[in-house]
Amino acid sequence: MNRIEERMKQLREKKEKAFITYITAGLPDLAATKELLLAQERGGADVVELGIPFSDPIADGPVIQEASYRAISNGATVKGIFSMLEEARAEGLSLPIVFMLYYNTVLHYGVEAFVKRCGEAGVDGLIIPDLPYEEQEEIRQFLDVTEQTILIPLVSPVSGERIPMLLEQARGFVYCVSSMGVTGQSADFHKEVEPYLRTVKDATELPVMMGFGIRTAADVKPLQNLIDGAIVGSHLIRLLDENDFAPQIAEDYCREFKRALNQSSL
Amino acid sequence: MNQKAYYGAFGGQYVAESLMNTLDELDRAYEQAVRDPAFLKQYHYYLKQYVGRETPLYFAERLSEKYGMKLYFKREDLNHTGAHKINNVIGQILLAKRMGKKKVIAETGAGQHGVATATGAALFDMECTIFMGEEDIKRQALNVMRMEMLGATVVSVRSGSNTLKDATNEAIRTWAKTAEDTFYVIGSAVGPYPYPKIVKEFQSVISREAKRQIVEAEGRLPDVVMACVGGGSNAIGMFAEFIGEEDVKLIGVEAGGKGIETGEHASAMAKGTPGVLHGMRSYLLQDEDGNIQLAHSISAGLDYPGVGPEHSYLRDCGRAEYVTVTDVEAMDALMELCRVEGIIPAIESAHAVAYALKYASGQREKLGAQKAAQQVMVICLSGRGDKDVNTISDYLAGKGYLN
Repeated sequence: MNRIEERMKQLREKKEKAFITYITAGLPDLAATKELLLAQERGGADVVELGIPFSDPIADGPVIQEASYRAISNGATVKGIFSMLEEARAEGLSLPIVFMLYYNTVLHYGVEAFVKRCGEAGVDGLIIPDLPYEEQEEIRQFLDVTEQTILIPLVSPVSGERIPMLLEQARGFVYCVSSMGVTGQSADFHKEVEPYLRTVKDATELPVMMGFGIRTAADVKPLQNLIDGAIVGSHLIRLLDENDFAPQIAEDYCREFKRALNQSSL
Repeated sequence: MNQKAYYGAFGGQYVAESLMNTLDELDRAYEQAVRDPAFLKQYHYYLKQYVGRETPLYFAERLSEKYGMKLYFKREDLNHTGAHKINNVIGQILLAKRMGKKKVIAETGAGQHGVATATGAALFDMECTIFMGEEDIKRQALNVMRMEMLGATVVSVRSGSNTLKDATNEAIRTWAKTAEDTFYVIGSAVGPYPYPKIVKEFQSVISREAKRQIVEAEGRLPDVVMACVGGGSNAIGMFAEFIGEEDVKLIGVEAGGKGIETGEHASAMAKGTPGVLHGMRSYLLQDEDGNIQLAHSISAGLDYPGVGPEHSYLRDCGRAEYVTVTDVEAMDALMELCRVEGIIPAIESAHAVAYALKYASGQREKLGAQKAAQQVMVICLSGRGDKDVNTISDYLAGKGYLN
């Protein structure tokens, strides 16, 4: 069982909902990113998605596009991010970490070498928004060897009949995209969001997380019986940007969201 | 493996999960359409009566004399809207209508594909939005005005390098949001499967005509077929009917910008490595960390850091050869074609002309004048240069150019 699965099991036992965040690695720099990871762990985040900045992030809205651009301009590289995570692990970070990245970053590094490095550095999962099920065979052959890093399945409101196929080999959790389009739009979930989440729930034993367009626990309250957790990205990045990326802000935000999320489910 | 989507190791469908059903629906609709005689009849009707096909295969007598080889130009510049782009747009918009879509979106670099899409949208009464990089909007103000006159909304894209690559990213993002009622008209032989296949089919009219025309004129197939390559739509259309004719040499000409050695160029196949961008796996210009690099070319239409996946395949299996021509060489050839033949080509097409002249001179040295004079070359003149007069005048005035 890897760190994500371990955490999901604990949450299930405690009947708690998961709070998952996304931050862009290297914004404003890698030292700050390390502090933000440690702060989020203190604040009670269950998983952190670490965005690996890419020049052409087609699944992301303006906030993460801008964040990626700035991180790259400030010198963030994949190799540097791996080393930063290794240091954070050495300093006691035990939080499950998922890399959210585009497939070209993996290909350019070398798929086999990348997967191996994920294992060494303590990357527990990968979310690759431009790698649909049909194109996953190449990376799966290596992930299946190490078994340390999980490929998190993404499901969309229009996945429909594809859902059983997407979830068949899935581990960790399911990432349900709340609306069509890109990250960081307003919390206008897809009009069919409820039947969609119900279909996903029926198709899997795995916890179901929802992301895209979420800012507060109140945004997901109407759906609390259908999801096992919420993912916040663009909103957190904006908040951090407005507050000089102070670790305390990240810690407080995580603590409050996690509390409200679980209070609202009582 | 997702085999049908690949040309050797290239192609595929590297898009968000939310677009996979859309791509599948598109593929099925396309396969039905191209087997439906009524659809084909309609497509060919508009190509003939609206676009003005067939286009001539013009024997450039004076240029042939001067460079010592028989040079024929496939005159795609004479199409309505001024380039080959309209061939594909008519096909895709008819397909969009057939699928019941009411809106179309497109990306554009030089603006030729944007103008063609806006034209098709006006003709078939569809709502049209064109994504164009802020930098390209400045370079191609005339085409922006054309699109707006035709009723399209032009969205200025301000992200990354503010050029074609970024306009394409934004078009893909918008498509992911709106695919339920919106058709994405891709202008080049790029993108996720089935787009490279669709664009090739709708552009192959170029080589179907050219093959028949050259056999009529010369009684045989050409020795060489040449076209410029950005994403590669005119080239794949020009090559299509000749790929199976092994004695015909296929040459694609990429933009060498300020020179390959300067790093400021747009030659994905000369210096690129395989990667994933815009839904496809193909040769790309990228840095040591896998970020996509800026392409540089005096020609906005070739200013793209990738190339269509079938070209990557044709390169790797050796069926086609890809070469580069610099900005300066292209501009010299452009002026040469103006003065010797009275044709103002698009700067994109001038790249193919430049290498054609270089190749002809090389053959004369290699084979001797007599033998070289018997060789036949067909060059795709993909577009006309009217849109480029501002760039040309800045260049001639020694002011350089944007980008």
